[in-house]
Amino acid sequence: MTDLHTLDVAGLTLGYEDKDIVKAVSTRIPTGKITAIIGANASGKSTLLRGVARLLKPRAGSVVLDGKAVHDMRSLDVAKIIGLLPQSPVAPESITVGDLVSRGRYPHQGWFARWSAEDDKAVADALESTGTAELVDRKLTQLSGGQRQRVWIAMALAQGTDILLLDEPTTYLDINYQVEVLDLLTDLNNRTGTTIVMVLHELNLACRYADHVIAMKQGAIVTEGDPCEVITSEVVEDVFKLQCDVMPCPRSGTPMVIPLGRHRVAAVAGA
Amino acid sequence: MTKTIEPTRSFRAHRRNRARWGLALSAGLTIAVAVVFILSMTFGSVTVAPIDVVLATIGSPTEKWHTFIIYELRLPRAVTAVVVGLALGASGAIFQRLLRNPLASPDFLGVSSGANVAVVAGFVLWNLTGYQLSLAAILGGFATAAAIYFLAGRGGISGYRFILVGIGVSALMASLTSYLLARATLNDARAAMTWLIGSVGMAKTSDIIALAIALAVLLPASAMLGKRLRVLELGDGTATALGANTRVDRALLMLAAVVLVALATAAAGPIAFVALMAGPIATRISGRADESIFRAAAVGALIVQFADLAAQHVLATPISTGIVTGFVGAPYIAWIIIRANRSGAA
Repeated sequence: MTDLHTLDVAGLTLGYEDKDIVKAVSTRIPTGKITAIIGANASGKSTLLRGVARLLKPRAGSVVLDGKAVHDMRSLDVAKIIGLLPQSPVAPESITVGDLVSRGRYPHQGWFARWSAEDDKAVADALESTGTAELVDRKLTQLSGGQRQRVWIAMALAQGTDILLLDEPTTYLDINYQVEVLDLLTDLNNRTGTTIVMVLHELNLACRYADHVIAMKQGAIVTEGDPCEVITSEVVEDVFKLQCDVMPCPRSGTPMVIPLGRHRVAAVAGA
Repeated sequence: MTKTIEPTRSFRAHRRNRARWGLALSAGLTIAVAVVFILSMTFGSVTVAPIDVVLATIGSPTEKWHTFIIYELRLPRAVTAVVVGLALGASGAIFQRLLRNPLASPDFLGVSSGANVAVVAGFVLWNLTGYQLSLAAILGGFATAAAIYFLAGRGGISGYRFILVGIGVSALMASLTSYLLARATLNDARAAMTWLIGSVGMAKTSDIIALAIALAVLLPASAMLGKRLRVLELGDGTATALGANTRVDRALLMLAAVVLVALATAAAGPIAFVALMAGPIATRISGRADESIFRAAAVGALIVQFADLAAQHVLATPISTGIVTGFVGAPYIAWIIIRANRSGAA
């Protein structure tokens, strides 16, 4: 099972060139839970995730893992605890699934260390839990979008981290694959207690799958908490500039966001 | 219990198959290089049987005159073909994988042309020779690599930006070379021209020694860095998340690649397109993303060996090695570009 790590974002400011994208954000990521970061384009949600994953240097503040600033820790040590699946990961053209997933073991191998039985087990487990074990000999380019995303998740799992960050893991996937990926991540979270933090575009899926949502606007956190409590039509209107109804999903009870738009919506009495 | 052991076993089998296939390929390529190495010394104005070549090379010739033919005439050329090919193949594969682009070879990145200018300048302006020229090539290669890195590397590493800047820098270097040639004496210009086409036949012993030493150090070093390259080629995001120090690792790999291509250029001139073709051919032979820098190097050696055999024996009069590789390389580039356009790869 996983160790209990604490991950805090403390007054974190991030940006590119002369522009600050994330402005003095502070939050504590709930350990062992699934957190979804939501927000409109350019709200800073991906930038925040990239900052936590050390892809961006903080302009101010810090990312604190178990009481230590991650930017002061050895990169390889952080990599044993925090893993990341970037938004559009790249791989060599004819790489095989087995080869790619093996590369997730990098932080566990020194300059001269040989591939160990533990490495074999970690990769095999990652393949197994993502349902990609039978694909090991296939080339990544021969796979469907959903399979490919599962393979990338397998690579991140092979890294064996207790915290897993994912930048829009469902974007560009068909709806069935989106659900498949989120189910898989939930299985992982249930089974091992891995802390999952992901940026999600699809609001209803975020409400369904996340234990904790962080809603961002203009580089700052608008609200955060249990989606059942924080996702209201006021919040959605504030964050996405979208008029909508929010009602509990008849199946799961989690909030369901129904956009109003200007057409085809009958006036509701009293609205 | 069996549920956890079974997948481990099947993945282990996959991994071992992959390792065995890689080892078999490496062994096969090594043997091929050795065989062509011997064959390349059999042909010439007089034919020396392969077995006699081997015997003469190891110092117990069947006939006394074999020693002269092998040691004085053919061995230097055969050795040059191998070491230059190894260096170009390794260097090209490193650049291509680092920048994740099959066009990202030192030919296009301007590193070769930077080394060219330095060698031509050293030769024409200051009458440098031997090791001085090797050093000039390294300095020239580094200067252009640094310039391109500075111009193209700001705000992240993008393969295409490197190549576009590299093409621009190459053009600049080519005109500098033309300028140097135009103001050189007729004799110097002629000698420089021959060198500029690239031929393994004119390498000096000093060049070969410098290159051989560099290979002895850098090939094993690159193999060790290969582990980092396997991570770097997954992009800066994934690499950083996996704990790699992308700046340092990239700098070290580029350092190795620049030294190799510069010394190969100093030895044999800019033998075109070998660095470009070796890595992708190695990948094609292995049928998957080939993570081995050594195999790319071996393929580079084979390309130069075959090109030089063709250059010497196909036409009535021998031509430069670089003409043959240019002849093969040009359609290859056209093919890459057509293919890239078709798949829409950026």
